[in-house]
Amino acid sequence: MRKIVTSFILIVAFGVALMMWGTSATAFAADVVIGNILPLSGPVAPIGKVGREIREMAVEEINAAGGIKSMGGAKLKMIYADSRGDPKVAMTEAERLITAEKVTCITGAYQSAVTYPSTEVAERYKIPYIVPVSVRDAITERGFKYTFRVAAKASWYARDQINFIKALGERTGLMPKKLAFVFENTDWGTSTAEGWRKLAKEGGFEVVLDEPYPANAPDLTPVVLKIKRAKPDFILFVSYIADATLLMNTIAEHEVDVMGMISSGGGHSDPQLIPNTGKNSFYHFDACEWEADLNRPGLKETNKKFKERYGYNISPEAANVYGSMYVLKDALERAGSSDPEKLREALAKTNYTKGPGMIVPYEKISFDAEGQNPQAQLVVVQIRQMPDGSIERCTVYPWAVARAGYEPIFPMPSWKWRKANGRAE
Amino acid sequence: MDIILATIINGILMGSVYGLTALGLTLIFGVMKVINFAHGSFLMAAMFLTYYLFRLTGIDPYLGLVITLPLLFAFGYFTQQVLIRPVFKIERDVREPISVLMLTAGLWIFMDAFALALFGAFYKTIRTSYKGAVIHLGDVTISLSRLYAFLTTVILAILFYLFLKKTRLGQAIRATGQDRDAARLMGINIDRIYNVAFGIGIAIVGVAGAVLLPFYYVHPVVGVVFDIRAFIVVVLGGLGSIPGALLGGVIIGVVESFGAQFMTATWTEGIIYAMFISVLFLKPEGLFGFKAEW
Repeated sequence: MRKIVTSFILIVAFGVALMMWGTSATAFAADVVIGNILPLSGPVAPIGKVGREIREMAVEEINAAGGIKSMGGAKLKMIYADSRGDPKVAMTEAERLITAEKVTCITGAYQSAVTYPSTEVAERYKIPYIVPVSVRDAITERGFKYTFRVAAKASWYARDQINFIKALGERTGLMPKKLAFVFENTDWGTSTAEGWRKLAKEGGFEVVLDEPYPANAPDLTPVVLKIKRAKPDFILFVSYIADATLLMNTIAEHEVDVMGMISSGGGHSDPQLIPNTGKNSFYHFDACEWEADLNRPGLKETNKKFKERYGYNISPEAANVYGSMYVLKDALERAGSSDPEKLREALAKTNYTKGPGMIVPYEKISFDAEGQNPQAQLVVVQIRQMPDGSIERCTVYPWAVARAGYEPIFPMPSWKWRKANGRAE
Repeated sequence: MDIILATIINGILMGSVYGLTALGLTLIFGVMKVINFAHGSFLMAAMFLTYYLFRLTGIDPYLGLVITLPLLFAFGYFTQQVLIRPVFKIERDVREPISVLMLTAGLWIFMDAFALALFGAFYKTIRTSYKGAVIHLGDVTISLSRLYAFLTTVILAILFYLFLKKTRLGQAIRATGQDRDAARLMGINIDRIYNVAFGIGIAIVGVAGAVLLPFYYVHPVVGVVFDIRAFIVVVLGGLGSIPGALLGGVIIGVVESFGAQFMTATWTEGIIYAMFISVLFLKPEGLFGFKAEW
């Protein structure tokens, strides 16, 4: 009998000890499960792939550095869901991540059309959703409490371009007065141009040309001659790659002299532009999300590490994803819990100013009442010839993150001079 | 004022290139009564051929014609011989064979997809010695590469006209175009004429590709950009009419260039399509379509 009692007590004690050990394990070092919705197949799969690679690198760094310290060194555990670029698939995947995988937080989903409905699912389940880069304005204009966007909205392209022109004018004392808007005539171009019109009016600029053009037109010389006739000081573009190439080469051919030209990424950010336009691209400004030469501490090392691992530079999207991962880590540290509600509160109070995640061109990352990072902005690069003869995109604005030792060249030299001095094709 | 003059000159220069791309289309239609939907894809193939010839050997696109023209002629000749003829035979008695139309449409999609797989989706350009070179006439700048394209078109059109009028083969081609059965009764080998006409049509596209490349880009779907223009030009000038194709091209070019000075480029595109529809509606045979086109 005693024997039985003793062994019973022993077994109970052992069981309790086991349970204690088990609970203490969950309480002090359980993983924080993060769901990631990405287009891993379909037409933009290459972007989804880079998105996954940069997340893996960031999370590895975070885990190797001791995980979330306030949670006893809890590790981040990533679960990837393929949206296939399809909004409906993304909504189901968001639901699955939340209900089946019990994620603490979701990140994604690159395409605006996919992010928009999938954030809605997260909002319904009260799960925080970090959006590194989806540009559609409305994503953070629905009064959602659980959606947090790190990068800029689409309409901020126009804002930052006009701001840049003003800043350039103030810095050099040569303020451009007459603007020409030249943009491809679909959704992207026309919505950007709407922003330009409003801001140009507020900024006291005169609009001498407002020209939507079909991006697949076989000849854009008529548009170029029209620009020449309008005699603007500054041209603003929204173009895809084929039309950007034709416009740039035709402007050189017809020697359209202006103080400067600025474009909105897209075709002008395409790596094929410089080989196809060569010296004709010199002095051109392009507004984009990020550039590898930004003057940010740690950026060079992070980029080098990424390049060694995957064979190419960090992309603008990836830079924002990397920043987002560190913002998430920062919020988890402050929340001290993998409870989604506590994480949401911590995210809302984010004030991330330094750390490995600050490879983005913003002063800091924080979120306003609608979950938008109000400091998000674009950078302006100028296409320049380097001393070794190569052609590079060189960050010149915002002044604080410009490539060290590079000032924008403004106004751009005349085509006659360029052709005589080997600065044009 | 000078700019207006520049737009008209540019319109004529670019329009002649549209005319040139339409010439092959109208020839093939005139003779075979077949609309070649793969026309733009042949243009794309010609541009890639010219491109790689330039990249690999440095031969200028114009000089390269010596090599590309026979190749493209053979390409067209055998496409007709091997692919189109068997389908054509089935619909021998139909004036405008539909299944051939479907075949060329299929060929178009195949060629574009094949080029995409083979060359990748990159936009490619070449740097000739005269790239970006211009002639200044007062304030008017004329692009040298476009001027060359225009001159080549004019010379080619004259040679082609003489070929059709003066040579026996040219006369046989015209005869086949006018009346297939009568031509056969006169002892003309219709199948061979078809092969030759298709070959010549594609060779002319080859010239268009060569003159375009110095100021344009090449891409697997570049054909589509010019395809639509070529169809509009052909309808405007009259299907099967050689002078109609050239004049139609110049008209489109000038409307596009000149019109854009008074409205946005988006609207000129609309005007061109409106012209296309009204010609179809009011003068279906085209502005220069004659009863006997040759």
